[in-house]
Amino acid sequence: MKLEFFHLAPYRGLPEDFREKHRSVWVDVPSHLFDAKLANQYYNETLDELAYAGEMGFDGICVNEHHQNAYGIMPSPNLMASVMARQSKDVAIIVMGNSIALYDPPIRVAEEFAMLDCISGGRLVAGFPVGTSMDTTYAYGANPSTIREKYAEAEDLIIKAWTEEEMFSFDGKYTQLRYVNIWPRPMQDPHPPVWVPGAGSIETWQHCIDKDFMYAYLSYSGFKRGKTVMDGFWKVANAAGHDNPYQAGFLQLVCVGDSESEVKETYGPHIEYFFNKMLHVYPGFSDSPGYRTIDTIKAGLMAQTSTFGRAGSEEVTWDTLIEQGNVVAGTPSQVTEQLESVVKDLHIGHLMILNQIGSMPHEMAKENIRRTATEVVPNLRRIWNDKPEYVDKWWPSGAVVREGEGVAS
Amino acid sequence: MSSRIVDVNGGQFQIDVSETGSGDPLLYLHGIAGKQEGEFIAKLAASHRVIAPWIPGFGGSTGSEEIADFHDLIYLYLDLLDELDLRDLPIVGHSLGGMLAAELAAVQPDRFSKVVLIGALGLWDQDNQVMDFFTVPPSEFAEAMYADQKSEAALDIATTPQSRLPEVDPETDEGKEVIDYYVERAKSMSTAAKYLWPIPNKGLSKRLHRVTQPTLLVWGDSDGICPPVYADHFGAALSDSSKQIVAGAAHMVHVEKPGEVSASINQFLSS
Repeated sequence: MKLEFFHLAPYRGLPEDFREKHRSVWVDVPSHLFDAKLANQYYNETLDELAYAGEMGFDGICVNEHHQNAYGIMPSPNLMASVMARQSKDVAIIVMGNSIALYDPPIRVAEEFAMLDCISGGRLVAGFPVGTSMDTTYAYGANPSTIREKYAEAEDLIIKAWTEEEMFSFDGKYTQLRYVNIWPRPMQDPHPPVWVPGAGSIETWQHCIDKDFMYAYLSYSGFKRGKTVMDGFWKVANAAGHDNPYQAGFLQLVCVGDSESEVKETYGPHIEYFFNKMLHVYPGFSDSPGYRTIDTIKAGLMAQTSTFGRAGSEEVTWDTLIEQGNVVAGTPSQVTEQLESVVKDLHIGHLMILNQIGSMPHEMAKENIRRTATEVVPNLRRIWNDKPEYVDKWWPSGAVVREGEGVAS
Repeated sequence: MSSRIVDVNGGQFQIDVSETGSGDPLLYLHGIAGKQEGEFIAKLAASHRVIAPWIPGFGGSTGSEEIADFHDLIYLYLDLLDELDLRDLPIVGHSLGGMLAAELAAVQPDRFSKVVLIGALGLWDQDNQVMDFFTVPPSEFAEAMYADQKSEAALDIATTPQSRLPEVDPETDEGKEVIDYYVERAKSMSTAAKYLWPIPNKGLSKRLHRVTQPTLLVWGDSDGICPPVYADHFGAALSDSSKQIVAGAAHMVHVEKPGEVSASINQFLSS
């Protein structure tokens, strides 16, 4: 079992009345709310927290890409990852990832990921998300009706640029290059493992199986609702003879403390900030026409998978979030027990944990990271050890493998 | 009204073409919402054989995935017109279809005797922007489309669920009707987005001078999608145009005032 620390680089300084005064945290979030002095603090604390998570015992550290928003201020996760390539040791550097359909030409991503792989000594995981509707079709103006096709073409080009031994020409529908010959090339052979973060589009399941990529379901709906999506994935995977849990990952918000009441008191306001302010996305931005495929709409999965577009809905409270499984919180043993059942229930080999959530101050986030990494993570690592046939083919070859170091509970 | 499927380009596209009325042929190109146009088309059909193809993604036409951009769509329509052997006829287009009509007339000016553009998209005025109707709440979309908010068509739009859909119960199919409605709407809106995203300016202004035949510009005075100032922009670029602004109508002016709009068109075409 691998446990990775996920960081969104949240903008923690939104005003108390943000939700009442503004329609969206994404796309048209007012620029006057951005304070560069605070951003200076947040970026540096984010980097410190990522490095700290690695030191404390997580297997990997994850960063991701979002645009024009206060939810996560990393339009370029590669910049953060390059700092981590120097500042961390051993751990996997998981860029979750680069929205490859947005880059013209997409070999820019092949080049930057190759750089990161070389700098880090083969510790890179290459994430290829389509990207959210807000990021891709609004902030970057990509055409929603062609973005998935463009994504598929970009993926082919990048993989080919990493693996072809000779220079080649690429005559695509969206990209034409006479001479493809990237320098540098990735350190990992044949290339860094590819993880595909999905938000619940059913096409992504088949795609990951066909290409043998790792599928990571990233949502804040929690494990209870996440089960519908992961069951959908495993149905497709099993049909193709795949059942290795390491081919699947899930994201979970986690808060660790001394007691349920202490956890609620400490983390409650910050978690509520996250759900009520940072997911406050105007519904018109969360689903541009054509962004979701007809098959996904027909599958009736949107209700389960609409993470964003919460603006206009009721405010949520800590108690509801705990009850629905959006957040796993409690003492180390309570959290361990719950996460163990999440892992087994969803049949996943990668659990991505969000410990810095919403408006948490740096010291509080560090404490949450420390306790999760030292009191929860070691007890979960053993989960798949009794199944030697499950080999993690999706782990970067230069990163540490701590399987078997787990302490049986 | 009869409907038939026309194979274009060796069957790569199957175009659903409606035909109604008798007399001289008239090509009608629908806009971003093509469903409520029955009465308007019937009135045109009183004096014309109205030929109305559906853009792939709308109606029963197929092959949308083969079309990359507006350029491809223009050539698909030229192929379709060849297939139907349609020449020397008037072309009437609304909204997205108006943009397409103007492009077709610019590419093959000799093919079309006269041009009618109703609330046509395709130009961009930075200070008077075409509404981002893909993104506004359903109630605002309804207001931009229809002057009368109490009309059935306006209410139909205003009550459309936007991003939150019910979960379908596979046992009872509960919620399926809403999903079906949404799928239909998602198909047409994503098709429209293919040609209009993110800004509905695909270079038409560079070609509009080639449209030299008589052109009638029809706009609803309260068109919230493409404001009437765009009729002036088209007028300024065209060498022979006249303009008619219809009071008490919005973007769906031909649906809201079918009698008035069809009468103007008939008069323009017969003059």
